Amino acid sequence: MATPLLEIKDLHARVQDKEIIKGLNLTINRGEIHALMGPNGAGKSSLSYVLCGKDGYEVTSGTILFKGQDLLSMPAEERARNGLFLSMQSPVEIPGVIVSNFLKQSLNSVLKHRKQEELDTINFMKLLRSEAEKLGIKPEFLKRFVNVGFSGGEKKRFETLQMSLLKPDFCILDEIDSGLDVDALKIVAEGVNSLHTQDNAFLVITHYQRLLEDIVPDIVHIFADGKIIKTGDKSLAAQIEKSGYASFLTKDKQ
Amino acid sequence: MNDLPLIQNANMFLSDRPSVYAFRQQSLLSLTKKGYPTLKSEAWKYTDIRPILNQKLTLEHNDLCNHCHCQTEKDDSFALNIFFCNGKLHIEDFNTPPGLNITPLPLALYNKEYTSYIGHAYDADKHPFAALNGFYLEEGLCICVEKAAKIAKPLTINYNAHSPDGRQIHLHNIFIIEKGADIEIVENYTADSDATYFNNIVNEIYIKEGGKLNHYIIQKESHSAYHIALNAAKIQKSGTYHQYYKASGAKISRHENLINLEGPSANAEIYAAYTAKKECLNDITTNINHLSQNTTSSQYVKGVLEENSSAVFQGKIHIAPHADKTCGTQLHKALYLNDNANLNCKPELEIFADDVKCSHGASCGEINKDQLFYLISRGISKKEAIKILTEAHLNEIFALIPNEKIQNKYFY
Ligand SMILES: Nc1ncnc2c1ncn2[C@@H]1O[C@H](COP(=O)(O)OP(=O)(O)OP(=O)(O)O)[C@@H](O)[C@H]1O
Ligand SMILES: [Mg+2]
Repeated sequence: MATPLLEIKDLHARVQDKEIIKGLNLTINRGEIHALMGPNGAGKSSLSYVLCGKDGYEVTSGTILFKGQDLLSMPAEERARNGLFLSMQSPVEIPGVIVSNFLKQSLNSVLKHRKQEELDTINFMKLLRSEAEKLGIKPEFLKRFVNVGFSGGEKKRFETLQMSLLKPDFCILDEIDSGLDVDALKIVAEGVNSLHTQDNAFLVITHYQRLLEDIVPDIVHIFADGKIIKTGDKSLAAQIEKSGYASFLTKDKQ
Repeated sequence: MNDLPLIQNANMFLSDRPSVYAFRQQSLLSLTKKGYPTLKSEAWKYTDIRPILNQKLTLEHNDLCNHCHCQTEKDDSFALNIFFCNGKLHIEDFNTPPGLNITPLPLALYNKEYTSYIGHAYDADKHPFAALNGFYLEEGLCICVEKAAKIAKPLTINYNAHSPDGRQIHLHNIFIIEKGADIEIVENYTADSDATYFNNIVNEIYIKEGGKLNHYIIQKESHSAYHIALNAAKIQKSGTYHQYYKASGAKISRHENLINLEGPSANAEIYAAYTAKKECLNDITTNINHLSQNTTSSQYVKGVLEENSSAVFQGKIHIAPHADKTCGTQLHKALYLNDNANLNCKPELEIFADDVKCSHGASCGEINKDQLFYLISRGISKKEAIKILTEAHLNEIFALIPNEKIQNKYFY
């Protein structure tokens, strides 16, 4: 059997002395789309930060293999260069840093790591403009400061743009549907689907089944209190939409 | 008298033309009387200048610059360039536009019209390094913009430090902006080695009624050098002085502004961005005196403190009795890259009038962790990400520069 893209075993992690991930197991293979659903404050975003190596999210036990390699021993920028991407739930504003400059530096660091040729400004701008256009992002936008004054929907489109430039192997989409109007949701979902191949995989964190109609998951997990309490197919999402998490949570306690 | 550090060849400097002689002697008297500042002097309590005094720095006697390749670029299409190399002026024919007079200081000292300006913008008793500078009065420029003249091209004064190891350099400039005149002056301090030297500069700035000066200063001295500068300005009715300052050089850098808003509706604005480098000290000290009605001032200073660096920001706004309807604001924001950095921030408001608007604020903090993570999570190295964020912090100041060419060439 092929090596899974991502293999998490008995993961425990904490932030500021608070244990947030409490024995999580998850295996994701290339080509798969997984959805992760769960109540507010369950630890979904924390899990994505742990995977990406954000300072302050400390793994206390467990292992994570990414493409067969020990993910936890890699610094955060290495993880990104190796093909891990997080579309953040609330992307932070960075005044003074211009979108196109930031994206060029980001893409070139990744290309360099892959031993591919870095792009000069002219070629980079060509690529950037065409990728932006596909997502309905206007050229003026590329001269603005990163996320500063972006509407909720614009921020999510901008996350998708970065994903389409970097072409990662594994993407975590943390509530990429929040703040999107119906049309924007279509565009972003199309963007994601067009990136999806048999070689990469997605972990889609969402509260709403609506997104999963456009980005159709192979597997749906329910995440509560720091671990996955139930795994099923996409009908699980419909069940949650209908009756909430209560039934799963009480069942878990019995 | 010869025991005073940095004073050499007193006899030589005191045997010049009577008018110059008198001024030098006055300056020396001030310095002898008051001495160099110590940490007990209120205006210098955070900046220890003993390393400068202990260096046994000497004066260079030859008048000519032997290394003429320091005059690297002459992009006269964009600006009128003047070069000093190790404190010595490159004499050449200035192709000055009408309305602009540039006179080397040694010549200006013969011109009564100009001598009356020397030493009038500051009190030597209160500025010991300006007193030292006055004692050595010799090199510098007198720049006069005639009445109503609008000088389109900026004037750039390049001060190149070409390995002046162990030297002390004293420069004294006079800027006279006559009634309704308008000019942009760039001062560009650079070094081509990490030599130890002392650059001591005094700029006396006289802005007459309705005159305007945009003053850009870029300080990139060697990291073993000492840089002490005083910008003393007297601004008349409706005159405007805007200063844009960028500093990243010198072991000890003291940039002092003494600004007197003397006529009604005079205006001064100071925008400064500094990087206190490892093991270096960066001091910005500003005194703005509102001496008349409707005068306005603002100061916006942003800094970055590297590991084991020190920074000082002292900003005093003084509002004299009857200087009503004045407005003075001051804001300082610092970014620490490391806990082992030392910032001393002293804002002061001294208000003797009733109808005034004044404010000051200060903040300091570390690099925003979420911003740092965002950049790193996109494959950018931590080192690069920190660089991007510190530049972004300072770019807010540079974005305010009105002349785009100057902004791109010297600030970004
Ligand atoms: N840096 C932090 N400091 C303190 N507590 C934190 C920190 N990060 C997360 N937490 C806490 O950990 C818990 C899990 O938060 P997390 O953001 O991972 O939840 P979530 O499942 O993504 O929720 P939501 O659906 O609302 O996005 C919450 O109780 C949160 O307050
Ligand atoms: Mg979340």
